[in-house]
Amino acid sequence: MWEQVKQALAQSTARFLTEVASLLPGLAALILAVLLSLVLGWILAVVVRRLLASLRFDERMAGWGFASLAEGSPLSSPTLFVSRSILILVILAGFLIGIAAFDFEWTSLLVRSILAYIPNVVGAVLVLLVGTIIARFVGRSVLIGAVNLNLQYARLLSEGVKWLVIVLAVAMALEHLRIAPGIVELAFGILFGGIVFGLALAVGLGSKELVTKSLERDAKRSTGEEVEDPLRHL
Amino acid sequence: METDSISRQPQAESRQLDSAELVVGILTELDSEALMALRDALRTLPGSLRIAVLESEDRKSPSPIDSDSPGSSPIFSVPSLLARPNGSGVSPLGMAGTYQSVFAASEKLQSRACCIIASRPESATPQRACRLARPLMDGDVDLVVPRYARHKFEGLLNSSIIAPVTRTLYGKRLSNPMGPDFGVSRRLVQKILGAGQARRAGGNGLHPLASLAPTALCDNLTVAEVHFGTRLYPPPDWSNTGSLLAEVLGPVFLDIERNAACWQRMRVSAAVPTIGEPVPVREDASTMDTTRLLDSFALGNRELQEIWGLVLPPSTLFELRKLSRLPPERFQMPDELWVRIVYDFALAHRLRTINRDHLLKSMTPLYLGWVASYAHDLQRDGSVGSDQRLERLALAFEAGKPYLVSRWRWPDRFNP
Repeated sequence: MWEQVKQALAQSTARFLTEVASLLPGLAALILAVLLSLVLGWILAVVVRRLLASLRFDERMAGWGFASLAEGSPLSSPTLFVSRSILILVILAGFLIGIAAFDFEWTSLLVRSILAYIPNVVGAVLVLLVGTIIARFVGRSVLIGAVNLNLQYARLLSEGVKWLVIVLAVAMALEHLRIAPGIVELAFGILFGGIVFGLALAVGLGSKELVTKSLERDAKRSTGEEVEDPLRHL
Repeated sequence: METDSISRQPQAESRQLDSAELVVGILTELDSEALMALRDALRTLPGSLRIAVLESEDRKSPSPIDSDSPGSSPIFSVPSLLARPNGSGVSPLGMAGTYQSVFAASEKLQSRACCIIASRPESATPQRACRLARPLMDGDVDLVVPRYARHKFEGLLNSSIIAPVTRTLYGKRLSNPMGPDFGVSRRLVQKILGAGQARRAGGNGLHPLASLAPTALCDNLTVAEVHFGTRLYPPPDWSNTGSLLAEVLGPVFLDIERNAACWQRMRVSAAVPTIGEPVPVREDASTMDTTRLLDSFALGNRELQEIWGLVLPPSTLFELRKLSRLPPERFQMPDELWVRIVYDFALAHRLRTINRDHLLKSMTPLYLGWVASYAHDLQRDGSVGSDQRLERLALAFEAGKPYLVSRWRWPDRFNP
């Protein structure tokens, strides 16, 4: 009896050791892939950082309205943000390649499904990036236009318009990622409608004085009371 | 455009129009009587000149075709598709295509000179074409610009930026470098047209209105001024001041960039020959309510700091913040500050620090602040005339030129 137990234990230990031993090449390949990707990613990040620095990328981004991509975070420099993103992407790619080296069915499936999802992620990131650029550009246009029209709520209007575009971009990105589409649609509708309603109320209430002044000016003009503005620009 | 319009004339007239010695483009609304007066005035030009008058085709009552009278200049009326600037708030700067068309017609007709009348019509308008043409036909002048007799609050965008910048950078004291009325020699027309073709081919072309004076001055062509009397200015469109600024200053700043090698060599400014007698302006006791201007300045100072911070150095931002805290009656923008602001915006335009349209439009509250300060200055010190005040500003622009040169050459290193 004892002999049989010993034999069974020896067999299972041998099986376990065989399994572990069969994992070792894959593990070594994973570690190697991660190390290689780390080195490659670091080199790429340094090259990209230097290239962007020579192109004054931070200043250009500031000019386009991206003074800081993530305000308050250590990645406040757009150059640093791009170079770190590249480093992380390369390490992630190395990790996936390393996982695939295990040659198990489940790892292959995992890698395949992650790789199949990558286009969605890239698409969502692009949508988010373009949306943010447009939001900042439009927000700045609205701010300058509203200030030039002497609207006291210029900042509110500009922020409202900017967030409208950002909310739209985020909803589109989440839709692209296929994350809880029903909730996203509902949340988007509520947020978008809320912002529009809030803006309409704010602008409507804020314009009361403007409309009054305009009507007064019209009345003065019709009765000939208005003094002509002597200013001529060009 | 003008080529088409000319080709659409009856065959007999087209044959007559293969050449002209003077082309006069009318870019303003002139009635038949004024046009007749214009032709009569043009006939007084010495010599028997062939003159083509390009006028807008959509006039309600087309002018008759002139019949030549012996001994006088034959004048050909050429109805064309020239658009007019005074219709719906279009500034002369928005008429670049039309100016280009007149220049192209002038070149096609191989005329010696070309005059453009674009300011709002007045009783003196018919004689103005003659005053512009005479120096071009008589002497070796390449560009004739008007010198309007102005009231103190008229043409302030020109007086506060365009004229002093032209004087400082290109070395000649022109009071209206952007016309909009002009007399241009064939030599200058060819330069402008040549650059226009370069622009169509993808090059960096010249603006047919804004670049006239800088091109003439950088190429050492002869420039003269003609006293033109008063000018009717369009009333301000308060909802559109930002667009006006962008439309006007964009070509000016582009010219500064294009002519950098030229203006960095210029050291001092000099007056240009002025033809005719100055027309006296009636006593101008008008005052201006600066509340709206100061409100705009304060709002801009509060909301546009983020944008101005990309363009202006910290010392300028600090001074602007100090200004915005002053009570309205004590508001005064020092000339040196205004000069630095203009130069910094010109530099930011060159460096494309931010989108150029945003940049130029964001300058509006600063410009309105300067206008308020100017109005306060004139009201505070009644003995100082607007001309003296603007001369002081022009001298401040000249004194600030080393600042522009330093920042232009070393935008990173020289940032006070």
